[in-house]
Amino acid sequence: MKNVKLILNFLMMTLFMSMVTDAAIAGNVDKEIKIKNPESTVVIVNRDSNDISFMDIKTNEIIGSVFLGNNVNPHMAMMSPDGRWVVTGGTRSNKAYIIDVATLTLVKQIPVGFAPEHLAFSPDGRYYYQGSPDGDSVSVIDMASMKEIKRIRGFAEPLNITFTPDGTKAYVGNYGAHWVGVIDVTRHELLKKIHVGSAPGIASLDPERYLGEIKGISNVSISNDGRYLYAADGDLGIVSVIDSREDRVIKKIRVGSDPWRAYMSHDGRYAVVVNNGDETISIINLKKNEVVATLESGPEMMGVNFAAGKAFVISSTTGFLYVYDMEGLTASGRIKIGTNIQIETATTDTEEGKIYLASSTDHSVYIIDGETEKVTKISNVGLYPWGTHILGSKDNYCH
Amino acid sequence: MVYMKVAINYFDQIMKMSLALLRHILISFVVAMGALFPAYAQDNTEQLLLKVESLEKRLSELETTAVLSDPETRVKKVEVYVDDNGIEYPRETAGTKKIVTYQRERVYRRQTINEKIEEALDDAADKSVRVGVDAAIILQGVQQESGNKQKADRNVYQLASTDLFFTAGLAQYTMFFADIVALSGTQPDADINGITSINGYSARLINQNDLNLREAWLMTELFNQQLSLTLGHLDLTNYFDLNAAANDETSQFLSDALVNNPALGLSENGAGMALVYDPKSSFVFRVGYQQSNSQATNLSDSLFQLYEIGYKVNPFDTGEGNYRAWYRRDNTNGNLSAYGVSVDQKIISSITLFGRYGSAEAVTGPRDKYFSAGIQLSAGLGFNPEDTWGVGYSRSDLGSNDEENLLESYYNLRIADKLQLSFHLTYITEEVAGAEKVGYLVPGTRLQASF
Repeated sequence: MKNVKLILNFLMMTLFMSMVTDAAIAGNVDKEIKIKNPESTVVIVNRDSNDISFMDIKTNEIIGSVFLGNNVNPHMAMMSPDGRWVVTGGTRSNKAYIIDVATLTLVKQIPVGFAPEHLAFSPDGRYYYQGSPDGDSVSVIDMASMKEIKRIRGFAEPLNITFTPDGTKAYVGNYGAHWVGVIDVTRHELLKKIHVGSAPGIASLDPERYLGEIKGISNVSISNDGRYLYAADGDLGIVSVIDSREDRVIKKIRVGSDPWRAYMSHDGRYAVVVNNGDETISIINLKKNEVVATLESGPEMMGVNFAAGKAFVISSTTGFLYVYDMEGLTASGRIKIGTNIQIETATTDTEEGKIYLASSTDHSVYIIDGETEKVTKISNVGLYPWGTHILGSKDNYCH
Repeated sequence: MVYMKVAINYFDQIMKMSLALLRHILISFVVAMGALFPAYAQDNTEQLLLKVESLEKRLSELETTAVLSDPETRVKKVEVYVDDNGIEYPRETAGTKKIVTYQRERVYRRQTINEKIEEALDDAADKSVRVGVDAAIILQGVQQESGNKQKADRNVYQLASTDLFFTAGLAQYTMFFADIVALSGTQPDADINGITSINGYSARLINQNDLNLREAWLMTELFNQQLSLTLGHLDLTNYFDLNAAANDETSQFLSDALVNNPALGLSENGAGMALVYDPKSSFVFRVGYQQSNSQATNLSDSLFQLYEIGYKVNPFDTGEGNYRAWYRRDNTNGNLSAYGVSVDQKIISSITLFGRYGSAEAVTGPRDKYFSAGIQLSAGLGFNPEDTWGVGYSRSDLGSNDEENLLESYYNLRIADKLQLSFHLTYITEEVAGAEKVGYLVPGTRLQASF
């Protein structure tokens, strides 16, 4: 028994001292300041080179990258609102990583739930919520202490997390269910489950569809004023409108087949919903909460970005961006990014002029000028770039 | 500067070594303290056991779901820059030119066993010929409502149709498609003998109660996939005179007059070509030709040429609308022409109005005129939100003074993703010049399976 205690003590102190010495290394040795303006930096998540790259928005040069470790496979990255940190979840390492942006140094690795993917910062930057879809949990990381202070359980494949502008609540899309989780941010507790809709009675005749692979809610998109939330449900083919004051569904809008999520236009007038089942997009007028256009698009749509009065829809496996005029609500062409490539997700700069699109299979980022639709390729940004992020962009999202 | 970097590195190494030494001293100290103060260790035992348990669980999850063996190795197309001496550079430099090459790369990506299996299955599926089945059973009854008693009165008809589709990717943006259809049973058209077919399943097909090659073609996409070229045995009605609300006998109206414009004049599928220029903007352009006579001895016999321009618009944010105008020439009986329009416009997201008009030059006499219009509602009646229903009217007014008026309504119940059941009620009047007008009520059902 004494031996066991000795071993346990040994383990505990090793962990403790490891943290102390790592912090000492990070803190004591002066580091060169590599990024002075975080807002003029594109953060690139490289899934297979297991690093996060930082690209200068003015020169399009890679400033540097931070290696996270072998087999980490980061999924999504986000910069803290103050631009000081970049955080990411390592899907295959079950850890959250915190990077110091100025020095491009990995300062902290925090064990979180199983297979972490999507994440969000609270508006004040105090908390970083890391979702773990395979662990059915959301880890709350206190950015002051850089520790996981709570692991909120009870979700069903939680994907994206959306904070209200006042930071009091966070809404979690559950892809393995048909409800939205509401987290009370003061207590970090799952407060409510908002049921977004039911399968029709006739669904019992179609067990393959409703009892097979579930396609629930990937994201809860918020209106510009923070009042309404839009949750697209894949199996039900609807977008449910939730009033954030009362946390109840006020309308169910029927869209196309297998909607992935709603992307909010920057002017707050429309939401563009990508329907991967029938390869269309549904444009919802947010004032009327009605579909005002259903337009043909491409297969496997992964995201929508808005720039220069247009919506750019990413069709992942075809290598095309489908372009829509958001004034006339009509299709206005498509941009061929490449042949035999797979494009992923993108972010838009804060001036809403350029789109930074991650292209995984050719290890590149493509910059698309929203106005001229000119495409510039930035090669060798890292292996399998999976997503991009710009501080303050209105189009920061992941798959 | 170089010396400074060396000095910094040296200092860094010393720091790391010192800290490592400090770590070991502290650990030894704590171990000794734990031995000296067992009560302290006791307090933490429970917490540490929980931690060990959690780590064991994680290790177990990792071992059971992850492929831990080798790093992933794959071949990638890469662009590099090569100078005159064949030296390769990752970026463009003076005197280099860009070339495309292939290279193996190795990455540290841990995949779960499920991901590996799914990838292998997808890969196998991509390389194989895909087969699809579209099967339908149409049951129709005829009740004569007016005119001299006809053979069709009080008769019941059942037609079974099975389409077998084969699709295969042959090269980049090039695919082969074949559709073999088997029709079996009866349908009211032979007994009613109307201007248009009351059951669109048998339209443009010959050899009833036999196997038919409905389509077999090769399609390739060119110029950034904006131009598609289809060549083979075609049904040109799949490319021209499209309509969002009235163009599919498998899920919308059953009557052929509400599926295609009779003014197109195509009576059989045949050898042909379709060229579609679709820049995915407001306009679409289509050109095609097709032979519509299985007895033809050469391609010049019974050759139909079709031209179409399509325009998409969203007026007043009401919803999308499609407006198409087409022109046809054919040399079956001289050199005859036809033209027509096909329109569908959403007025709200669940209601679509549609209309068609066509005028075809007749062999003798005035032109044949065709008109149809109707409404489609995609808001179901509560059985399944994906149900659709519609009402359509069509009028055929031939130059020979023969007339047909047809009114059809349907409700398409989506039982499951692969199974639909629809109910149809059609009222049709036929008036052959100089004869008494005959009216029929034709209720029907259609069971449609697609998988």
